[in-house]
Amino acid sequence: MIDIQHVSYSYPIQQGQRGEVQRVRALNDISLSILQGEYAAVLGHNGSGKSTLARQCNALLLPDEGRILVDGLDTRERSHWRAIRETVGMIFQNPDNQIIATVVEDDVAWALTVRGLPAPLIRERVEEAMQAVGIAYLRGRAPNTLSGGQRQRLAIAGVLALRPRCIIADEATAQLDPLSRQEIVHLLHTLHERFGLTILHVTHLLEEAALARRILVMEHGAIVMDGAPEDIFADLQRLRDLKLIIPEPIELASRLRRSGIPIAPGALAVESLARELMP
Amino acid sequence: MSEAIIRVEHLTHIYAAKNDSLLRKTALLDINLEIEQGSCAAIIGVTGSGKSTLVQHFNGLLRPTEGNVIVHGISTTDKSQDIAKLRRRVGMLFQYPEAQLFERTVYADVSFGPKRLGLGRHEVRMRVLRALDLVGLPHEAFARRNPFELSGGQKRRVALAGVLAMSPSILVLDEPTVGLDADGRDEFYSYLRRIQQEQHVTILLVSHDMAEVAALADQLFVLSDGQLVMQGTPRSIFAQGEQLREYGLAAPPLSELLALLRKRGMHIPEDVFTLDDAVAALLESHKIPGKGV
Repeated sequence: MIDIQHVSYSYPIQQGQRGEVQRVRALNDISLSILQGEYAAVLGHNGSGKSTLARQCNALLLPDEGRILVDGLDTRERSHWRAIRETVGMIFQNPDNQIIATVVEDDVAWALTVRGLPAPLIRERVEEAMQAVGIAYLRGRAPNTLSGGQRQRLAIAGVLALRPRCIIADEATAQLDPLSRQEIVHLLHTLHERFGLTILHVTHLLEEAALARRILVMEHGAIVMDGAPEDIFADLQRLRDLKLIIPEPIELASRLRRSGIPIAPGALAVESLARELMP
Repeated sequence: MSEAIIRVEHLTHIYAAKNDSLLRKTALLDINLEIEQGSCAAIIGVTGSGKSTLVQHFNGLLRPTEGNVIVHGISTTDKSQDIAKLRRRVGMLFQYPEAQLFERTVYADVSFGPKRLGLGRHEVRMRVLRALDLVGLPHEAFARRNPFELSGGQKRRVALAGVLAMSPSILVLDEPTVGLDADGRDEFYSYLRRIQQEQHVTILLVSHDMAEVAALADQLFVLSDGQLVMQGTPRSIFAQGEQLREYGLAAPPLSELLALLRKRGMHIPEDVFTLDDAVAALLESHKIPGKGV
């Protein structure tokens, strides 16, 4: 689905009075394949390069070296951009940057209307997208009257209406309260299970990665860990060294294990931990 | 320690568009609370629950529609009182405060506030140096640096120093660590604790990060729909996870896990709250046959 081959990238930064351009390296020779139907989380602390990598995957940024193929299409080729962005939809931290219309329904329909699709088809897709994220009951509301979590759902519906095969959520939960955050994480999980969407969830929170089937950890623009959640969470010290915050229940499980209490390595969410500790 | 520095009595605040009674919105309804001098209190609630409206009463940015807010013995309801004096004593740090940095050097940025107070050069200098040292940015190394070249956590501490240089006795922080990584967050916490202890500053957190609140606050106030619905220590509030969920909030993950275990019939005392307590309690319950596994 997404094939990243030896990609390096540096951001240009203007410096000093004369405005000489310096470059700051953000990605360092990354090679990685995301398979069709995969649900992967990309973890890393601030400045590790995870957002830069996400933006490379739908041609918002282009590699300085190496190349990225999305469904076989090279992102460096301008004529591919449209097709790539229809395949890979992105959701960002602030849903307000993605909301345009003054009524929920119209906003979901926006990108379809711009593309000039026939009205019955638009109606059908908008309906489906709103149902999928659970905002159909808000259809007539003005987006600015919705809560943060509802607005993020709206942004997701707008992307879904385009029928992408992959969704990249770039810190899409960072501005939400904890309950809305859990809801959005569960929504991504559901979209993966029900529609077989490929999901790339970029986050700095370990607890949000626990539902993914694969975890990639980034540091200094490189991928330093890549594996199943139970393997990644087996080395808490390493995660701590990578400046990630260890959720307390996982820390608890690790300490109990060391004291000889058996807990399955796959038990990462509080529900499964509770089942392990008190069958 | 037991003296209330902030007293809120029957506070109601109604936002009203001029001449349009349809657009009246009751943002706060009959709030009563007291915050002790030198303590760290947290106000939690979902977006739109009234948190920001409430804290904006503490330095007179907003005035009560009904009721009283008394800060440092100054009533903000009373229009004859000197609000400017109050504002100097209540420092506010909003979300992503680093976005408000604007000067070319750290020194210039932190000294902006004290200079505007009309203090002498020497006094300004003393305050800036002390504030920088307090937030762990020793002035010898940082005063001449460009704030925009610092890390995210350091920038935020420059912003905090700017507020501290005003020598506030109350510090209001809105989501202070949102967007910081683990290191940045832990550093920020440790400097806050230091400020609270060494300067006897009363700290008010507005937050929905429950782990943050659990780590710092002595007292929690839960707002929902403009009303004060719960108050107490983090320990007592987080033991009532179900009720928190009703207000759209979640207890910290560890408290959730303990609640689930209790539901499944495990005996864990109600006052278990920290990670160390939880490890001890679970090891204990596994030792007693029939009670644990």
